[in-house]
Amino acid sequence: MEANAIVLDDTAGDVIVVVVEGEHDIYTAPTLRERLDEALSHGGGIVVDLTAATFVDSSVLGALLDARRRALESSQGFVVCVGDTVEPGVQRILDITGLVPVLPVMRGRDEAITAARTNGGPDIAAG
Amino acid sequence: MSELAPPAEVVLNMPARAEGVGVVRQALAGMADALAFDAAVLSDMKMAVTEACTNVVVHAYEEQAGQLEVEMLAGEEDLTIVVRDHGAGIQPKPARTGPPALGLGLPLIAALSDAFELRGTAGRGTEVRMTFAYVREEDPAEANPVPGQVGADGRWEPGEPPA
Repeated sequence: MEANAIVLDDTAGDVIVVVVEGEHDIYTAPTLRERLDEALSHGGGIVVDLTAATFVDSSVLGALLDARRRALESSQGFVVCVGDTVEPGVQRILDITGLVPVLPVMRGRDEAITAARTNGGPDIAAG
Repeated sequence: MSELAPPAEVVLNMPARAEGVGVVRQALAGMADALAFDAAVLSDMKMAVTEACTNVVVHAYEEQAGQLEVEMLAGEEDLTIVVRDHGAGIQPKPARTGPPALGLGLPLIAALSDAFELRGTAGRGTEVRMTFAYVREEDPAEANPVPGQVGADGRWEPGEPPA
């Protein structure tokens, strides 16, 4: 199994979950962008699950913000989730950049899937 | 403190390529294992050093990749990490490939390190010197919050945070 995997999970049907595991930085950011493009091309909501991510840097945040912007432009829901046992370093970069309410960042994947399904469109930023 | 004393100084020198940044983090984690680092400080240190190395990989050199140099200097109460390139100098070049960066690198380094200094001259490279206390008295991110926010168009806007 790949240590720093990024895989798409389509078992939720209309919402695609991009599962990000391990360490991600400038080296893997292009792969993340490809996976996010693929998820966006399905036309439904997107959830990025960082529960099993152990490190993310500003290159990853850049990829997430670009995907979020494109999702909102095409009225697709976009939500990030971090689980209940998020790596402190992952929570830290989300906190100090003020991105928790913006992306937005939620805890559980199920909750995030529901939000991505119902909150498509620009109003998501208000949540 | 571990019984196995770490070397006082570790120097890494490698081609300035994206795959090297994770290697620097691994080396840093190994060195920190032998020092009495608070887990939160180690986490901040990995992030700050990653951002400094990423700046070198993305901005320091033209087509021909140069070297990325990292020095770790263990003191009595803190670890100083110097990330250096021999590229164009302090004025960053646009990214050679890929999407534009957010410009978050230096603000993150300032927020996550206990002390931080940037030195560079045109044509003679850049040096980022960061110091991390083994045990912190206060969170540097409180004194140096990351400025900037996501604008209405969804793009990151560097600058002052909202009041």
